[in-house]
Amino acid sequence: MTAAVEVFEQERRRVLRRRRAEALIGLLAFSALLALAFQRSEFFSADIGGDPLGRIGEFLARMVPDLKAEALLEDRQARGSLAWWYYDLPLWLRTGWQTVEMALIATTAGAAAACFAGFACARNLMPLAPVRFVVRRTLELIRTLPDLIVALILVAAFGVGPLAGVITLALSTFGSLGKLFAEVNEEVDPRPLEALEASGAGLARKIRYGVLPQVLPNYASYALLRLEGNVAAAAALGIVGAGGIGVELQRAITYTEFDTYLAILLLIVAMIFLIDIGSEQIRHRLIGLGAKR
Amino acid sequence: MLELQGVTKRFGDTVAVDNVSLACRRGEMVGIIGRSGAGKSTLLRMINRLSEPDAGKILWESREVSRLRGDDLRRWRRRCAMIFQQFNLCPRLDVVTNVLVGVVAERPLGPTLFKIFPAADRARAVLELDALDMAHAALQRAGTLSGGQQQRVAIARAMLQDPDVVLADEPVASLDPVNAEVVMEALQRICHERNVPVLVNLHSLEIARTYCTRVIAMAKGAVVFDGPPQGLTPAVLERVYGRRAGRTLEPLPAVEAA
Amino acid sequence: MTPADMDQALELSPRAVRPSWRDRVLRGLIGALALAALIAMAVDVGVTPTALAAGSGKLATFLRAMIPPNAGGELVRIVRALGETFAMAFAGTVLAAVAALPLGVFGAKSVVPQPLLHFGFRRVLDMFRGVPALVWALIFVAAFGLGPFGGVLALAIADVPGLAKLYAEAIENCDEKPLEGLRSAGAAPPVVLRYGLLPQVAPLMASQTLFFLESNFRNAAVLGIVGAGGIGFELEERIRIFAFDEVAFIVLLYVVCVAVLDTISQRLRARLA
Repeated sequence: MTAAVEVFEQERRRVLRRRRAEALIGLLAFSALLALAFQRSEFFSADIGGDPLGRIGEFLARMVPDLKAEALLEDRQARGSLAWWYYDLPLWLRTGWQTVEMALIATTAGAAAACFAGFACARNLMPLAPVRFVVRRTLELIRTLPDLIVALILVAAFGVGPLAGVITLALSTFGSLGKLFAEVNEEVDPRPLEALEASGAGLARKIRYGVLPQVLPNYASYALLRLEGNVAAAAALGIVGAGGIGVELQRAITYTEFDTYLAILLLIVAMIFLIDIGSEQIRHRLIGLGAKR
Repeated sequence: MLELQGVTKRFGDTVAVDNVSLACRRGEMVGIIGRSGAGKSTLLRMINRLSEPDAGKILWESREVSRLRGDDLRRWRRRCAMIFQQFNLCPRLDVVTNVLVGVVAERPLGPTLFKIFPAADRARAVLELDALDMAHAALQRAGTLSGGQQQRVAIARAMLQDPDVVLADEPVASLDPVNAEVVMEALQRICHERNVPVLVNLHSLEIARTYCTRVIAMAKGAVVFDGPPQGLTPAVLERVYGRRAGRTLEPLPAVEAA
Repeated sequence: MTPADMDQALELSPRAVRPSWRDRVLRGLIGALALAALIAMAVDVGVTPTALAAGSGKLATFLRAMIPPNAGGELVRIVRALGETFAMAFAGTVLAAVAALPLGVFGAKSVVPQPLLHFGFRRVLDMFRGVPALVWALIFVAAFGLGPFGGVLALAIADVPGLAKLYAEAIENCDEKPLEGLRSAGAAPPVVLRYGLLPQVAPLMASQTLFFLESNFRNAAVLGIVGAGGIGFELEERIRIFAFDEVAFIVLLYVVCVAVLDTISQRLRARLA
């Protein structure tokens, strides 16, 4: 009995010692990394013009528009009205819509290409292993490239404007959806495919009657999710000259109109929010259909 | 006549089907029994060519179907309808489209990709469904049907192939007794009315005895009995199911089927 | 198929035999309209085959200029910039986690049961979750000057809503039973949290934070474009002077670093799970 307790205590001490050592090493490593990170990124030593807190306060004050309660609903000429704050609203709405258009085109193009890639690298549908390998590696490579770097290069090639942004987004959509579609394809129920094969159907008919009915709701749901992300990404792309509302953000900064920046930012937030809600509704309905089968 | 000559299939070291030879005439309802893993499924799948035999020949009307390739192979599959334990329907397609899948391989690719079929095909699909008492559900999604109903849709699909041979791999193993009866009676009727050989894999000895005119028993890939159901003596069953089944006769297969 | 058979089939299920042409035409029409709308949009934003063709020649030249990749004799500088990018990502993630923790606790339904408050709070988080870090970086750099300070702040602020939401969900989804067990044993509330809640949520939160670190390393690389330092700055400079062999070198090196960080982080997350 006591011997058992003794053995247990020894074991316990050993385990505890090891755990403590691990925790200590982990903590030390983390703190060192953190200290190094703050030091390297000059976060605390950053020279933002002395009096950092004051600077931040000043910045926030400049960002908040100088609205006056009594003039709030008057027209653009009245300083302190909402219309004065959003003085270029028609233009912003137009470029905002352009951003949505960019996202829609890029998502559609990327998703269409991803459909083919998804079939070409699904283990159960593409019998040629080399083709699968090449397609898979290509998708992987595209996914690792940062969007904005690609956008910079494309802006240099295609000039300032939405085209470079659309190509960038279409590429990254292709990369991520291609992988997701392939995964969906590989999780397809093989039994309907077997029945089709047993009745003499070839690959095209197997895909049309065995695969597509199963995967389309998932495809649509993933594509919509991607569309939500693409609207936000398209807004950011404008900053590097790739068209859309981001261009207006860049302009507001050039003229150091911080309150205008906030106005456009809020517009972007509202836009993304509306797209998210709409797409969420559709996705839930798609999933609802899926649950019923 | 469907003939198998020395058909063998190996998976690695195990012999799934071991030198099986048999012949089935038109209008014969053949039940194939045996424990799980006795090679029943593999045998049927080789006849449809979903599996390739490693040795031996399969002949239909003296033509060697085990050699067919490409279009000829697909044509054979169309004439050799297969019914599965899990129905293998596409749950999101409606019932009539699932049945039309039986002729999809024969129709031109373009229109079929848009689900466009001749009205005559659609009418046949509805009539085949009606023969199985399923016409009322023609426009419902297949996934909304019960197991027994789904299997009847699968049979209608097989019938639309206008088959020369019908293969059924455990068609009633996932069904309750009432539905099992409906499905087995349908297979029996098809066998008589269309005068085709029907090969049915069965877990349940009782069902084999009730519906089949001939029973083939397999054990470890080989045929150990081939004859009328009356010939299934306790001694034969012992060889098929092992010692315990021989003594108690019915219970073991029945339990397995449930 | 005799006419009588056809009649019988039609009687059994007319719509299965003759699918409504109106539906089909309607569906085709909707498809055509959607396609037309898409093409109109493409023309509106200037995505046309001619524009594509015009730029592809230049792009091909750029791509050809990328081979072979070349460090341009500035390997040390590039590596230092990569380190700075990682430092920004790490500092930003830690700041975001620190800020998101109280927000997450506040956003959990089990902590603040008032439905309206909870709903409103979550909606606000949702709204700001979509704003990309670059949008924040642009204004912070303008306000606080060039350098990583604005970048770190941008990454942190961009992450806070997403992290807070995940933290809140982690708290909400925790198993109530261990907490109940502790309460039934007479444990005081802090003890209940320490032994009931913390062991459940801490690994989950840590793993989510690591996931954000991964994505921040990707995001941090582009912040340099607006002047927030790091590898993005080096890249932008070289793209502007068309030094594409050096661009290719930096991108390759960076991709390798991403892969290494992802692998380490995935290992750590697997151990946490």
